[in-house]
Amino acid sequence: MSAFPTKPIAKLTGHNGIVHAVAYSSGSQSYILTGSSDRTVRLFNPQKAPTSSVAPPVSSDYPPGLVNKYSAHGYEVLSIDVNTDNDKFVSTGGDKTVFVWDVQTAQTVRRFTGHSGRVNRGVFGGDGDSIIATGSFDGTVRIWDMKSNAYKPIMTLDDAKDSITDVAIHDAEILAASVDGRVRSYDLRTGMCQADVIGFSCTSLDVSKKGTEMLVSSLDSTVRLMDRTNGELLKAYKDEIFVNKDLRVRSTLGLNDSVVLSGSDDGMVFAWDIMGEECMHRFKHSEMREVHGKGPAVQPASKKEVVSAVAFCKTRREWVSGGGDGNVIVWGA
Amino acid sequence: MAYKRPRATSPSNSQKRARGGLSYVSLGTELPDDKDDGEFVPVWKQTVTDDRGRRRLHGAFTGGFSAGYFNSVGSKEGWTPKTFVSSRSNRSKDQATGPTQRAEDFMDEEDLAEAAETRQLETAQNFAGIGDADDAGNDGFFGLFMKQEEAMGVKLAQKMGWRRNQGIGRKISRTARLEDGIAAGKDATSYMFAPEDTRAMPIPREKVHRKGLGYQSEARLGVEQERAADRKTSLDFEFTESSRKPLVVKKPTTKKSSFGVGVLNDTGSDDEDPYELGPKISLNKTIGKDKKAKKPSKFAKAGAGEGPVFVSKKTSTKALTLLNRASMDGRPPLAGFVLAADIAELASKPKYPPPKIPPGWKSSKSASVDAGTQGYQSVADAAKASTLDAKGRSALLGEKQLPGKSIFDFIPKDARDRLAGLSGKADLPQGRGESGPEGHLPAAEAQPKDLWSLVPALDKSTAAAALAKGATGWMPYAEDLPKRARYVGFLELRAGLKDDLPERSSSISTSDWVKELQEFAHAAQVFRPTTGIMASRFTSSSSSTLGGSTAGTTAETLVREPAKKPEDPAEQAAKMGMHGAMTRTSFPFHPSRLLCKRFNVKPPPDMPHGAEFEGDNGFKAKTEEAVSKAAMDKMLHEVLTNGPALQRPAWMGQAPQDPVPVAAPQATGHATVDVEKNEALSNERASEDVFKAIFGDDDDDDDE
Repeated sequence: MSAFPTKPIAKLTGHNGIVHAVAYSSGSQSYILTGSSDRTVRLFNPQKAPTSSVAPPVSSDYPPGLVNKYSAHGYEVLSIDVNTDNDKFVSTGGDKTVFVWDVQTAQTVRRFTGHSGRVNRGVFGGDGDSIIATGSFDGTVRIWDMKSNAYKPIMTLDDAKDSITDVAIHDAEILAASVDGRVRSYDLRTGMCQADVIGFSCTSLDVSKKGTEMLVSSLDSTVRLMDRTNGELLKAYKDEIFVNKDLRVRSTLGLNDSVVLSGSDDGMVFAWDIMGEECMHRFKHSEMREVHGKGPAVQPASKKEVVSAVAFCKTRREWVSGGGDGNVIVWGA
Repeated sequence: MAYKRPRATSPSNSQKRARGGLSYVSLGTELPDDKDDGEFVPVWKQTVTDDRGRRRLHGAFTGGFSAGYFNSVGSKEGWTPKTFVSSRSNRSKDQATGPTQRAEDFMDEEDLAEAAETRQLETAQNFAGIGDADDAGNDGFFGLFMKQEEAMGVKLAQKMGWRRNQGIGRKISRTARLEDGIAAGKDATSYMFAPEDTRAMPIPREKVHRKGLGYQSEARLGVEQERAADRKTSLDFEFTESSRKPLVVKKPTTKKSSFGVGVLNDTGSDDEDPYELGPKISLNKTIGKDKKAKKPSKFAKAGAGEGPVFVSKKTSTKALTLLNRASMDGRPPLAGFVLAADIAELASKPKYPPPKIPPGWKSSKSASVDAGTQGYQSVADAAKASTLDAKGRSALLGEKQLPGKSIFDFIPKDARDRLAGLSGKADLPQGRGESGPEGHLPAAEAQPKDLWSLVPALDKSTAAAALAKGATGWMPYAEDLPKRARYVGFLELRAGLKDDLPERSSSISTSDWVKELQEFAHAAQVFRPTTGIMASRFTSSSSSTLGGSTAGTTAETLVREPAKKPEDPAEQAAKMGMHGAMTRTSFPFHPSRLLCKRFNVKPPPDMPHGAEFEGDNGFKAKTEEAVSKAAMDKMLHEVLTNGPALQRPAWMGQAPQDPVPVAAPQATGHATVDVEKNEALSNERASEDVFKAIFGDDDDDDDE
């Protein structure tokens, strides 16, 4: 447990804008998909992208490690989720449309329209990834059917009073975090929805493997671990230099739900032990190094410094962070 | 002839003749060339001719069979075929122009005559002559059906000064008839009165007295007969009652009638020849003595015969003078006309006096008994007698007090008297000698006192409302912040929050200052918040009009903090870090059946039936709140207002039944409200087993 991966092992370059979404492929999790505000989704093989790699001067050239480019979005890409078969992934973004891609052909298989605002999150779910749940700026969660050719959502959950920032699916429950400061979990088995008030606008949501806890980031520079059974707060993760007040920043549970990882508004990545009070590690994304000491090592310069996406590899001791500079760093042991 | 007959082998006679050259010799009648000799001629060679030998049949292009009636088509005397016009496109038009069917087309003469009989010639319904209205009154029903429209004559007469129920003509000077039947005394002065409304002469319209020579009207059964007879003899009219002769039964004149004597005219005597012609001249056939008086007819009453009849001298002379009197313009009336003024007396028949009021009777309807006893008092007198001034009167009437006060409210009584003396107006209001309002006392400096009068008045509530609106939402003069500050100051003054004069910088002239204040007063009235229903329809935008950041800082100081919305207790708890039961709400929702299928889970047991029918098309989530928002608020209110029995949150007391562990202990100190934990909701649904027991069978086949 002590061996938290702190060493950058790969650098994925080529994005021409803030990286909003990173996702590991399913299965062996050897590939990384990144979505950026440059309207493209890129598939990388991190093995072939050394930390010394730099973006090619001509953007059409393939930077090291890039496997494929997926371009159909007209706006920024905000989320990516890969299905378990690894043959499709869903990407959502500012164009109010949900894109389902075929990984091989780099073509969209399905496009779902119906949201009236940018779509912040789209995840696969259901038995055999038969549905896609998307949360949007329009305050609704829409559930799209992948098995049929229906172009309308199976269901629309419009209880949220504000934008939906994150959606998670665990078993037969659909969870949605909203800017109205609530996380709603819709249990399909019982037909009950439980709304837990976090108090501040929620930006990220992650559910533990057991499903009894959830990790919620909110705009009060706090990441909270909530008990899903009764809505109690199990742990609140803070740090003096952890800033998350304005931007949507992802947080995630990792290493078999033993650590909490979160990006921040100012280009830092923070790692907490799930039981610990103190912050375990702080990383400077743009400098690809771990920061030691308490003092604020960096001054937030601009939006470019944001680390908006983090993801943990489920199979290896490895995680990835995507930053405002367009680079994605893979950290390993 | 279009064809040739097969020539005979031997030449005919004529041919022989022609050959012989003797053309001038003719022997016998030559046989016609085309004789029908019974030879076979094929059908196509045959021709049909009419009796004059003309071709009767033509080819299709020359007219077809008998076309045009013996070849006359298109010629001057022949007919021209009508050009065909399709009515397909203009059917209705065709119908309109085509022959229309009338009822008369199907009537024979009898029907037509009958229809003509039923048609009656009538006067227009609103036809009425002047003065005819009273005449119509003799039939009670007539008035009901008469049109209320005025006849043209009535309108004209009214324009000329005539009034209803007046007679027509010049005004008559006579004494006033105060009461019916009582003639005025001699000393009574005479006034000019409109002539009496007299009944118009009823001249029967249908009676046209044109008779042939020697005609004598026949006897009728009615009285009309006698009247007609009277009319002939003496010049009087049936409307002159006074001149009417007493009813004298005359010998019926039927005897002298000539033609058409009916049964009714039959007198029963046999000695008369009804078919006698010519005027009957009765001659005295006896010599020497007068003929005996005829015995009365058996129709006549016995004894009612020709006895002496008393005729009042008075009436007869009156009738005479009446006839001879000159009209008002000095000329005698036209022949056949009578002066109406004298007939007026007829109209003044003694009317029946109203029933006498029994002594001591009091009308239940008379409200003001004392008013009657007081006697009449003119308005001016009453006003003089009143001690109330304008203010008192307005108070009595319930009027609103005028906002401003009169100068007379402030000047002392002697000053007012002096004013009244100088101006000569005694009706000046009373001097009250009130002292000025606070802040206006003469002790205060003179300058502000003058200025105070210039500050426009504004309703206190309006000012407060405008101020409140400014605090919560929009306020005018966003572009000019100092002006807005002055506006706020003015509103505060008028709302009673401040007492000092609105600020005035020295650079601004007083008139500009006053103008601005008036503008403020107007703006406050315009921009005061909407009330009632309107207010519930609108919400003010939040501070977007405040302009840039520079405006924001100053505006914040001016505009008061908006009243904070009562925060959700759950959010309060969450902000305090008390997550748990306080921050958790649960409500049912209905996942679509398809969604449950996709997740491979059983749909919740309380799914509505309607959800089964929806397919892949969008299913709108129907999340219902078990307790309505209003009920929730009511509960919250109860909890907050009621005593300590309810103070304890329900979820805390229920800990044993609740599988959920009790919230963190520090929560108990703060938790006064529990709206998150809903007993009704948690108790409402029975356990899964119950549902299974009841509906267990049909749930099994849901899985695919």
